[in-house]
Amino acid sequence: MEKMSRVTTALSGSALTGRTMHCHLDAPANAISVCRDAAQVVVAGRSIFKIYAIEEEQFVEKLNLRVGRKPSLNLSCADVVWHQMDENLLATAATNGVVVTWNLGRPSRNKQDQLFTEHKRTVNKVCFHPTEAHVLLSGSQDGFMKCFDLRRKDSVSTFSGQSESVRDVQFSIRDYFTFASTFENGNVQLWDIRRPDRCERMFTAHNGPVFCCDWHPEDRGWLATGGRDKMVKVWDMTTHRAKEMHCVQTIASVARVKWRPECRHHLATCSMMVDHNIYVWDVRRPFVPAAMFEEHRDVTTGIAWRHPHDPSFLLSGSKDSTLCQHLFRDASQPVERANPEGLCYGLFGDLAFAAKESLVAAESGRKPYTGDRRHPIFFKRKLDPAEPFSGLASSALSVFETESGGGSMSWFVDTAERYALAGRPLAELCDHNAKVARELGRNQVAQTWTMLRIIYCSPGLVSSANLNHSVGKGSSCGLPLMNSFNLKDMGPGLGSETRLDRSKGDTRSDTALLDSSATLITNEDNEETEGSDVPADYLLGDVEGEEDELYPLDTEHVHPEEPEYVLPQEAFPLRHEIVDTPSGPEHLQDKADSPHVSGNEADTASLAPVDSSSSLLSVSHALYDSRLPPDFFSVLVRDMLHFYAEQGDVQMAVSVLIVLGERVRKDIDEQTQEHWYTSYIDLLQRFCLWNVSNEVVKLSTSRAVSCLNQASTTLHVNCSHCKRPMSSRGWVCDRCHRCASMCAVCHHVVKGLFVWCQGCSHGGHLQHIMKWLEGSSHCPAGCGHLCEYS
Amino acid sequence: MFVARSIAADHKDLIHDVSFDFHGRRMATCSSDQSVKVWDKSESGDWHCTASWKTHSGSVWRVTWAHPEFGQVLASCSFDRTAAVWEEIVGESNDKLRGQSHWVKRTTLVDSRTSVTDVKFAPKHMGLMLATCSADGIVRIYEAPDVMNLSQWSLQHEISCKLSCSCISWNPSSSRAHSPMIAVGSDDSSPNTMAKVQIFEYNENTRKYAKAETLMTVTDPVHDIAFAPNLGRSFHILAIATKDVRIFTLKPVRKELTSSGGPTKFEIHIVAQFDNHNSQVWRVSWNITGTVLASSGDDGCVRLWKANYMDNWKCTGILKGNGNPVNGSAQLGNSNPSLSSNTSNLQNSLHGSSAGRKHS
Repeated sequence: MEKMSRVTTALSGSALTGRTMHCHLDAPANAISVCRDAAQVVVAGRSIFKIYAIEEEQFVEKLNLRVGRKPSLNLSCADVVWHQMDENLLATAATNGVVVTWNLGRPSRNKQDQLFTEHKRTVNKVCFHPTEAHVLLSGSQDGFMKCFDLRRKDSVSTFSGQSESVRDVQFSIRDYFTFASTFENGNVQLWDIRRPDRCERMFTAHNGPVFCCDWHPEDRGWLATGGRDKMVKVWDMTTHRAKEMHCVQTIASVARVKWRPECRHHLATCSMMVDHNIYVWDVRRPFVPAAMFEEHRDVTTGIAWRHPHDPSFLLSGSKDSTLCQHLFRDASQPVERANPEGLCYGLFGDLAFAAKESLVAAESGRKPYTGDRRHPIFFKRKLDPAEPFSGLASSALSVFETESGGGSMSWFVDTAERYALAGRPLAELCDHNAKVARELGRNQVAQTWTMLRIIYCSPGLVSSANLNHSVGKGSSCGLPLMNSFNLKDMGPGLGSETRLDRSKGDTRSDTALLDSSATLITNEDNEETEGSDVPADYLLGDVEGEEDELYPLDTEHVHPEEPEYVLPQEAFPLRHEIVDTPSGPEHLQDKADSPHVSGNEADTASLAPVDSSSSLLSVSHALYDSRLPPDFFSVLVRDMLHFYAEQGDVQMAVSVLIVLGERVRKDIDEQTQEHWYTSYIDLLQRFCLWNVSNEVVKLSTSRAVSCLNQASTTLHVNCSHCKRPMSSRGWVCDRCHRCASMCAVCHHVVKGLFVWCQGCSHGGHLQHIMKWLEGSSHCPAGCGHLCEYS
Repeated sequence: MFVARSIAADHKDLIHDVSFDFHGRRMATCSSDQSVKVWDKSESGDWHCTASWKTHSGSVWRVTWAHPEFGQVLASCSFDRTAAVWEEIVGESNDKLRGQSHWVKRTTLVDSRTSVTDVKFAPKHMGLMLATCSADGIVRIYEAPDVMNLSQWSLQHEISCKLSCSCISWNPSSSRAHSPMIAVGSDDSSPNTMAKVQIFEYNENTRKYAKAETLMTVTDPVHDIAFAPNLGRSFHILAIATKDVRIFTLKPVRKELTSSGGPTKFEIHIVAQFDNHNSQVWRVSWNITGTVLASSGDDGCVRLWKANYMDNWKCTGILKGNGNPVNGSAQLGNSNPSLSSNTSNLQNSLHGSSAGRKHS
């Protein structure tokens, strides 16, 4: 006893010190309770009943109350409580229905004081009156609550809940005569201790057993209850009807609930099964625990705040046979780990962004860079119990849409829909696709198509008009063929006009070239390259920035009447640069007499950037040696396809692959082809381009791909007359021998797209049915069925 | 430029994830308020909430869509230690009349003993599979052997990562040359210098996932990880959200050179690293072609990153929560003028890698 008092005085300064620590018990704990001096804790269980002193660094066992040779069932404790007025007085609830009181002041080894054997079944809970020294309350599995006066041998009064087992009883801290009890059937009752005949109030608090309750230490009439339905509810009992003020959702059934001292809205909970953690909740933020203690390896059975006015120390006992002291500061904070933002890129280039409102709203700028969010200093500040609650966290959700309505992927959809992949001569396909690309403003792609045409179509195929024109123009050697194609598009009438314009432009383009390449070099930090490489880089630099800088020049040159047929500016600098190449000119002049060769020159020059690995110069040299078979370019084309694929433009890779067919197929390994096909098909399907996707599947030569549309091609159709399944092939029903594919609207046989209702088997032309359904929801056949076409 | 369309989400707590479906016309959000909401895009472009239901008994960290071939299917994962699979029921239910669709739980995956931090469906060509990862450092891979029966999932693999996991990403490549691969990020914040990103690859011979790579240079907590859509590339691009944004490329070394049967070797290069968020980066997301990366950080901004022809990644746009682009030059000072010019070209850059001038 002397020891204890000494500890108490030492603590009267109310400076609790300690750290997160734990000690091993001999057996699983069922309940714990703290002495009012906050220096000792009692642990009770089926086979343990000990008092530990809480020292700064460790728990020290002070007293073992389980004495006697033969352990009695009276010592198998379900609950224990330490009197908050008298530090010598303890009570335990035994699993055999006995309520025992203990007096630590007894001189003998056995401290047992009184024994009440009035309950028939396990006593779940005992509770001392907060201010009255001799009043003890118990609640039992047998459905009764009993009030004992410790000065007498038996109970003063018995309260019958008239419902199921009592799980918890708790004296109100503020109202002298009131206590609350919770029941296994979900009810909570409020009793006046002077009136054992019936309860003052009863209400259903939970769905399923209510395992625990706790009166708020300060706010009169606030009662927290926890149940098997995983919820903690806070009730206001001061009003006429118990009003649910807060509802906290936990992840497992709630076994204990304890209000946190000095923090009006905080409470700690632990769970009865599954979950071993202890959570501290702010009831105003009912979904995310404010703190979490993860020390226990088995179910936590007892929790108690160490001192009624200190919010930072929590004690807990567990089935894993440990006793822990938790420091609130050391708790992990799920909120801190929780992701405050969500971000997703949409298909059309739109962005969905959800962010914690405080992050978005912070106009003043960002926080200083703190490195890790869980930086210690930061951490401490966050955990300050006095920190005012900032209100419920909420997120702002917005979708950033690209301004140009259709979205920034419209080029992909347009391209996919408009490209021609088969069914025409190669030259036409290339021209068509080049035109499509050009109209969509994808000049590099257009150029590629044009070059492919030149490479793979024999010279004879190049229209003579173009040739003539080029020759006529040939003031300098290499007029890019690009030009000729455009002219062809314009028709011969415009030709001369362009030529004039061109010659004017030529003189200016010299300076233009210098300007643009100069800006380029500075802008992009290009490595210094030899002269001939500059245009290469320039072309490669198909990054928007440069193009924008260029276009102003462009408009200068372009004749106002022909804005649609603007020449890609790339052509000009290229030509000049190549002519100027020291190794080039004479060589070039000799061989470049035929426009065809000059055409080749133009495209190698532009192809080179595509193929970043091969040097521009070497290729152009090789070119002039002879007329080259298309095979010569296959390496180049292969590399180009790979380039497009690596750039994320699998559309181009696959389109070229299909259009060129056998010409390139052998150069690219099967697996890569298949990969491109599947990627492209996946992309087409994302955009719901089913027809294009099917066309691509059909045109592919890879077996793995072409079998994609061979699966599940069977349709099960009912005859629209006799409503029975059609078993034979074709559209004639073998039962009623009538054609099943009659349009219900126009009564003609449907050829092409046929749509029918799966409910009544009637259908018809897609357009007819769609039109019909705009006006009516009934079946056009008049069968009365409410058809669903989706 | 972008137009921001603000949506009254009406979630009762933080939203932790948003996810578009395969076709980009539906969106799912999940929140700490334990609910998931599904939003459908109307003809006019507005987003309407067509379903909202309580999914878990804890914060819902992630929500993700399955490929529509398997139906309208969502998976969610939560602090309550479970992941769940949901399917939309279309039919005679009266709910439809009120514009609300009905989602039913098909399964609950209860194997984890701690918070399930991420869930992702595998690429479609692998069948109906999903992977979860949890705070106890275990990645679990489930498969529904019968795609018509969403209530039966069998746990196929358990991969131990040793570190608390925060995010996973499947390699989306459909190439036969690339075996199934999954990248796992950890937000373990204990002061050790262990690598926080691990990459596991499926080995056909052992039929197990084995560690293929560890990104040794990433030692800070990782909050999000994302493989770029592959689209026919021979290599993989991986974006990581940690204290900064990082982009790695993983080039498989040719199989012939490595010993057969072993895990694929990769040449790993860090191609970009940006601390422009000046704070923790929480999310990264790739556009559909894998050419633009969006990242969001504690500064409340979304930043867009794009590579130029030289493979130099640059910032091409900054979006504030209200959708207005932040003035690039003002934000970044004059030290980096190229950034401001890039910002002004945002629109262009979003038209694809080879976008050019629009003809009138």
